[in-house]
Amino acid sequence: MSHSKALLILCPDMLTAWNSRKMVLSVSYDFTKLKDELQLCTMILSYSPKNESTWSHRRWVIKKVSEHHQDMSGLIERESLLVKEIAEKSKMNYRAWRHRCWLISYMTREQVLDELKKSARWNELHVADNCCFHYRRSLLLALLDSRCIEGENSLDYKSEVHLLWKEELRWNEMLIRRYQGRESLWIHRRFLSQWWVKFLLSGEEMECCAAGISLVDLFLSQEIYLLSDCLNVPADEFGEACIQAELAALYILWISKQVPAVKPQLEERLHSLGSLEDVLARACPERSRLWTHLIA
Amino acid sequence: MFTGSTRPTHRRVRDSAPLAVGDSLERRAAASSLLAGFGSSTLRAKLLVPPARAMGEGGELAAEKHVRYIVTVEKKKDSFESLVMEHIRLNGAYWGLTTLDLLHKLDAVDAGEVIQWIMSCYHPESGGFGGNVGHDPHVLYTLSAVQVLCLFDRLDVLDVDKVADYVSGLQNEDGSFSGDIWGEVDTRFSYIVICTLALLHRLHKINVQKAVDYIVSCKNLDGGFGAMPGGESHAGQIFCCVGALAITGSLHHIDRDLLGWWLCERQCKEGGLNGRPEKLADVKFRCPFLKLFMFFITLSWHHRFD
Repeated sequence: MSHSKALLILCPDMLTAWNSRKMVLSVSYDFTKLKDELQLCTMILSYSPKNESTWSHRRWVIKKVSEHHQDMSGLIERESLLVKEIAEKSKMNYRAWRHRCWLISYMTREQVLDELKKSARWNELHVADNCCFHYRRSLLLALLDSRCIEGENSLDYKSEVHLLWKEELRWNEMLIRRYQGRESLWIHRRFLSQWWVKFLLSGEEMECCAAGISLVDLFLSQEIYLLSDCLNVPADEFGEACIQAELAALYILWISKQVPAVKPQLEERLHSLGSLEDVLARACPERSRLWTHLIA
Repeated sequence: MFTGSTRPTHRRVRDSAPLAVGDSLERRAAASSLLAGFGSSTLRAKLLVPPARAMGEGGELAAEKHVRYIVTVEKKKDSFESLVMEHIRLNGAYWGLTTLDLLHKLDAVDAGEVIQWIMSCYHPESGGFGGNVGHDPHVLYTLSAVQVLCLFDRLDVLDVDKVADYVSGLQNEDGSFSGDIWGEVDTRFSYIVICTLALLHRLHKINVQKAVDYIVSCKNLDGGFGAMPGGESHAGQIFCCVGALAITGSLHHIDRDLLGWWLCERQCKEGGLNGRPEKLADVKFRCPFLKLFMFFITLSWHHRFD
């Protein structure tokens, strides 16, 4: 084990060395030795944070532990924290965030909610890191899945997710307005809105608000208002206002394509700005080949 | 030991790779190109974005220099760099030899020596190849070995069924593939196994439908594909998933408009390509993007790219 450790410190993607350690560890279950293995991985990841073999070995160790322990919550929480620390030093680290998404399958519902809450602040400080927003999407999807659990709590779970989703949309809009031209924020909004509009459409008859305007109409009006603000931001020396306008226009195109049922309503709400085609022509002339095809 | 050079006839191997019955000629051409896998990083870097020093005086590719570079690297087995990459030498061999083949200089190396070394990386008890002599087998190296033997048109040296059994035996219940006996799953391994079996004409050894279903389960809302279900879309993973679907005649599972949209948005203002949103353009994505571009030509999407 000491020889393979020396080899791996020098050359962490040597699969044969990792395999030799797996063979020794497989002989009999020893939690202390598996914890030491995680420490070795942590040490290697401190200078080689993208090393796939190390992350893979880490997952093998955790799977081994899960075969003998019911309560994984402490271990999973520490793993999630480790990724956060590594992600701080190694931005947009696909392998690290892939590992964090993999941990979700071991999390309880409460842990998922906790992760959503705790990671919001980190996301606010890393708005250009698409990985962390993808992680949030994975957490939200995990909550949607757990909604399928039958029993007296299912209705409570449903309302909790809806409240969370509304709050996520509000928070995302705040970040979009604050940080101009950030693609990862708009991609997050595409995901949120697509699901939200479909959800509103499915419950339309039950949930009209007092003024008789459908909730879908209300939501789409708000999105067009956001678009309008983004199209009218004064130009800046960094070109971020231009990018913001482009991303906002493509976002509206996204909703119209992903939820075709609302396309007429969108077009109607857009009328003061022109047709969707006019908006795209003004905001993203360089991508005209793309949106011309998508609109057709 | 074999002496003399063997004119590579890997083109023949590609054309005869098993593709879906009823595919159009264009689709077969695109899928054949995907069978070649990733090209050489040297070629990628120097052909697609040629720096000044890779070009001769007339602006032409300095092919002789590239050939000399590859042959020199091949011979330098005792340098520190060579030692710390010893375990992935088989992958490096594929990249280097593919470059030589594309430059029509495969005879710069001794085919017999190369093949002998490749076979010394073979594990007869499992049917897999390690990254170098004495290293554990893994699908990553097994594909590279098969590809190199295709370059030399020497699949006859293989126990084809044994190798096919090794890779196909790594398919899991849910249709996914592990990289080796230790179980790590990744859609890259799906592509690698499917590519290997296609080159060996043994695709029937896996449950193709389940393999396809698993890849489709890794499709995201943005039309892209990740390393596992729910994994972030990544150009490299997308190449692997699209490649696997192409080889198995399952391209109809792709949402062309959505994926095309995602790929188009990878083009940065200066014209380069990134692998994911917010990343900088990177030359390493040009090769998989070109292959995906060829695939999209067959789906009449090519004019959406600038």
